[in-house]
Amino acid sequence: MMNLHKIVIIGAGTMGSGIAQWFAQQMCTVELVDNSHEQLGKALSSIHASWDMLTQKNKIGMDDALRMKELLSIKSLDKVSADADLVIEAIIENLEIKKDLFKNLDHTFSAHTILASNTSSFPIELMAEAVSLERRPRFLGLHFFNPATIMKLVEVIKGKDSSEELCRELYAWFDSKDKKPAMCKDSPGFIVNRVARNFYGEPLRIVEDADENKMKEVDRILKEVGGFRMGPFELMDLIGIDINYSVTCSVWEAYNKEPRFAPHKLQKQMVDEKRFGRKSKRGFYKYD
Amino acid sequence: MKNASAEKVSVDFINMTNVLFDDVLINFGFGTKEEKKNILRTSEDKKVFMDLTCFDPSEFYSEFPNLHGIFAALFCDEAKKIEIHFREKNVAVISKLQELAFTPVETTVVSCGFIFPRTIVQIINEAYFALEEGVASKEDINRAMKFGVNYPKGPFEWSEGRELFVRTLLNELLEKTGDKRYIASKSL
Repeated sequence: MMNLHKIVIIGAGTMGSGIAQWFAQQMCTVELVDNSHEQLGKALSSIHASWDMLTQKNKIGMDDALRMKELLSIKSLDKVSADADLVIEAIIENLEIKKDLFKNLDHTFSAHTILASNTSSFPIELMAEAVSLERRPRFLGLHFFNPATIMKLVEVIKGKDSSEELCRELYAWFDSKDKKPAMCKDSPGFIVNRVARNFYGEPLRIVEDADENKMKEVDRILKEVGGFRMGPFELMDLIGIDINYSVTCSVWEAYNKEPRFAPHKLQKQMVDEKRFGRKSKRGFYKYD
Repeated sequence: MKNASAEKVSVDFINMTNVLFDDVLINFGFGTKEEKKNILRTSEDKKVFMDLTCFDPSEFYSEFPNLHGIFAALFCDEAKKIEIHFREKNVAVISKLQELAFTPVETTVVSCGFIFPRTIVQIINEAYFALEEGVASKEDINRAMKFGVNYPKGPFEWSEGRELFVRTLLNELLEKTGDKRYIASKSL
């Protein structure tokens, strides 16, 4: 079984700090890196507060919480430990910025370090172009789901040049921990963002227009009969209709406008009317 | 086709089965469109309630005035919750379905494939496309959907033994809408 002791997480946003917290909870040494010192401070306070709350609720022991706090540190990229076993990038979804970062990481970290991206939208193969040929077998995708400390899935994405053995070892490592890994090929949307598209697309075609009563009924039936925790319309409102629409469009484009992934006119209409969901107090439903 | 006695507490809801009581006939199970229509043609003196999971209910409602309600049971799990639509509400039918261990959940939306089956056949179809393209194994796709987005079941768990229903409904949706999004994966 592979051993992962020292982990570096780049990006202290929601995903990055969640991933850092989860690794520290597995008793790994974790360095959380961001170019904003303020963001790092916020992330660290929030993770510590979460551990304090878990201690109060007796979900974790006091000694474990103290140990986790010792294991997690915040750093700037120039101070990071170059001998990390695994580096996970969880920065903004911008391909050029990610490629620049990986080029830098490739130079910074030792030859044994595994470089991974938490991207949900870019091909691993494109990002791997930024690193040396020697590094490419140790470059792959590790896609976590929000909140990373709670959601069990990690998509282990094998790029064109990723070592199959390394992917299998990482799969086994996550499987031995508190995660449910899924191995997948480097293809648009990977597994979840591809297969889940129809959970939104089909209900949109059932209702066809912005009829709130019909949407309520679709949400109710999918929860009551289907056993889903949330209905598609309330979930789109929670995620953000703009974000959901953008993911839909990106998967549709990536599959050469395959009709199965086509966005629905109602999604565009909502975005045009700035009805983004809960965050704008108006989406498929009203939140006054 | 079997005729189940009304006293039984369980019924075969996968194969064509009729339950008769008073002037009501409840038709369960999968059949071809023609087989379903034949049931309605030969039961003109009955109030018929029919499983139409795989077909367009509007077509049946407009053709058969003796069709009083429709339901979708072909994808129900052990909880046996089923979508039901009444042209005319019939409390006795609800009681009968409850006697047969179903939990009818009323809907007013008349849609080809209802709401739950129509949504999951598209999720299942995409999972089959992903499998066909070697994106991941069945086990990993099931796992990803259950643990990444909290689906109660994985797509292949929903479709197990029901691939024929998935294909039939997709073909019906393709025929009714002409939208290529309903073309079924070859591996289905």
